[in-house]
Amino acid sequence: MEIMHKLASHLKTRLVELNRAKQQGRKIVGYTPGGYLPEELILASGAIPICLIRGGDHSVVELTGAYLCRWIDTFCRAQIGYAVSGDDPYYSIVDLLAIPITDNHIRAISDITDHSTDIEVFPFGVPHMKEESTFSYYLHGITRLKAKLEALTGTEITKPKLREAISLCNRERELFREISLMRKSGPVPISSRDFVALNHASFLADKEVMVEILESLYKELKGRIALPDGHPRILLTGSTLAMGDSRVLDLIDEAGGEVVIEEFAEGIRPYWENVNPDGDLMKALAECYFMQRVPPAWFRPGNERRDFLIKLAKDFNVDGVIWYQLMYRESYKTESYYFPDKLKRDTGLRMLTVESDYDPSEMGPLRTRIETFIETIRGKRHG
Amino acid sequence: MPTIVAGVDVGSVATKVVLLDVGFEKGCASSFNIKSFSVKQSGAAFLKAAEDALAEALDLAGLMFKDVRYTISTGYGRQIVPFADKQVTEISCHARGAKHLFPDVHTIIDIGGQDSKTIRVDSQGGVSNFIMNDKCAAGTGRFLEVMARALGVKLQELGTLSFQSKNDIEVSSMCTVFAESEVISYLSKGFDKSDVAAAIHNAIARRVAGMVGQLGLVERVAMTGGVAKNPGVVRSLEMKLGTTLLLPEEPQIMGALGAALIAAGQISPDGISSAVGGSKA
Repeated sequence: MEIMHKLASHLKTRLVELNRAKQQGRKIVGYTPGGYLPEELILASGAIPICLIRGGDHSVVELTGAYLCRWIDTFCRAQIGYAVSGDDPYYSIVDLLAIPITDNHIRAISDITDHSTDIEVFPFGVPHMKEESTFSYYLHGITRLKAKLEALTGTEITKPKLREAISLCNRERELFREISLMRKSGPVPISSRDFVALNHASFLADKEVMVEILESLYKELKGRIALPDGHPRILLTGSTLAMGDSRVLDLIDEAGGEVVIEEFAEGIRPYWENVNPDGDLMKALAECYFMQRVPPAWFRPGNERRDFLIKLAKDFNVDGVIWYQLMYRESYKTESYYFPDKLKRDTGLRMLTVESDYDPSEMGPLRTRIETFIETIRGKRHG
Repeated sequence: MPTIVAGVDVGSVATKVVLLDVGFEKGCASSFNIKSFSVKQSGAAFLKAAEDALAEALDLAGLMFKDVRYTISTGYGRQIVPFADKQVTEISCHARGAKHLFPDVHTIIDIGGQDSKTIRVDSQGGVSNFIMNDKCAAGTGRFLEVMARALGVKLQELGTLSFQSKNDIEVSSMCTVFAESEVISYLSKGFDKSDVAAAIHNAIARRVAGMVGQLGLVERVAMTGGVAKNPGVVRSLEMKLGTTLLLPEEPQIMGALGAALIAAGQISPDGISSAVGGSKA
C-alpha cells in the first residue's frame, strides 16, 4: 500500500523533524502508553506529544538487571532499559515524560527514570475503579498535568485551542474505529500487521499528517474489494503489543490465522469513544479517557473488560482468542487462568495463552503453541 | 504395490520415523499397518538425523524413498525437513497417535527430551486444549539425564533402581541445576541411590500433576514420549494422579505415528487428495 510507504517515510524523518522543532523552541512531551494520557492537552499547549511504545528487544531488557528486580513486566523493564541506556533516541529527545501510573509496573518506569536519568518525570495516578470520587481524582491528575504543561511551554491552554486539539484527536479515533470495523465479518481489507503499524505510527507521527494518512487510507479501503478467505479469525488480546514486538503477529500469520481485532492495555490506541467537544472540556477529557475507557486487567471489578472481550469476539465473528501477555504482568496472568471458562461458556470459543519475556529462545515453543491452536481451529471446522 | 506414508518427528533429543502401509476401502484410508520405525539421536545436525532415521526405516521395510507417497514432519525441528510435504505440530500428532492406539483416551501426558505437555483430546482425536511447559529442563528427559549422571547410573536403569527405595525423601527443587546439587547432597549424607532416584521421579510427577490439574483430569490418561519408558516416573505419576496410565509399547514414536496417520488422511488411492489446512504462503 502506497499510504503505508508514505507513513514509513514520515516516520523515518520524524526524529530529524523533532530535533528541528526542539531547536526552534518547541517542547517535546513523551508519555507512556496505556490510553490514560489525553494527548489533546499536550497539543493545545503547543508541545509535541510522543508515546514511548518501543519493545520486543531482549538485550534492552537485560540491561535493567542493575536497576531493578526481574519480576517487573517485560515491556516496562524494556522502557527502563531504553531510558537508562539512551538506546532509544525518542527517550533522549523528550523535555518531559508524563506517566499516568496505572499499576506498579508502570510506576517502576516512573521511579527509575526519575532516579537514574536526567529526564524530568511527571507522574499522576490512575484509579482502579470507576465512581464519582475516582473521577475527581483522575480529573485532578490531568488538571495538574495541564498546569505543568503550561509552565513548561509558557503557553496557556485556552478553551479554543483545547477544542481544536480535541476535534483533531476525535477525527483520528473515528478513523481508526471505522477502519477497524471494516474487519467485523467477511473478507478483511487490512491486515492486523498494517492496522497495528498504523496504531504504533500514530504514537510518534505528527497528528495532522497522521489524520491525513488515515483519511486517504479509509477512502482507499472502502473502494477495495478484499478477496474472500477461509483463514481462522483471531481476537488478539493481552497486556502490551509494543512497536517492534511483531513475533506473535508474524507467527499467527505464518500459521495461517488472521487477526481481525486487537485489544491491549498498551500498544493499541483506544479508539472506541470520542471526547465531547462541548461544555467543560477538562471534564469531557476525564469522561472519555477514564470513565469510558475499556479498563485493563488490573481494574476492579474486572467484568467490564472481560464482557467487552466477549462482545468483540461475537461482533468480529472470531474463531478463537489468543491471549498474549508479557512476563510478570500478574493481573493479566491471573485472568488468563479463568477467562477461558467464561469465553467457552459465553461463546463456545477456545483461548490460547502465550507469554513472552522478549527472549529469542521462546521462538520455537511459541510457534508450536500458535500452530497447534490454528490446527485445532481448522480441525474443528472440518470436524 | 502398497501405499506408504511417512511420519518424521524431529525432537530435541531423538528423531523418530514411522512408515505406515495404508489400506483403502471405497477411496478412504481404512487400515494402517506400521511397516517399520526407527529412532536416532538428533544430535547437533537435525537434518542428518532425519535423513538417517528415514533411511533406516526404509531399509527395515525394504522400501525406497520414491515409494513414500506423502510425508509429514513434526516435532521441534519440523521445519528443517526438506522432504516433508507438510508440517504439523507435535501436539496434534501425539493426540492422533495416542487416539489411534487407545480409542478411549482423553488426556495425554507427553514428556519428551526438552519439554512436557498435557493434551486434552476430544472423541474424534482432535486437540481440544493443551498446556506446554518449556520454561526450563525441569521435569523432562534432559532433567532425568542430568540426574542419572549425578547418581552415576545409566538413564535406562533409573526407573527400576527407584523401586528398591526404602526411605522416603524429597527433592524439592525443580531447577535442574539446584536439583542436581540436592541429589549430590543426599548422596553425601549416605542415602541410597534408589531413594534419591525415587525422589527424582516423585518430583517430576508432582510437577506434571500440577499441569494435569490445570486442564482437569479426564480418564483415560495415556503417557507418550521418551520419559514414558521410565517405569519409576510412570509409577510415581500413577500414584499422584490416582489412575492407571495407558502406555504404548513404543511411547517415543507416538508423534511420528500420529504424523504418518495424518499423512494417510492426505492421500487417496490414486493421488493426493485436497489437503486440509496449511499455511498462507
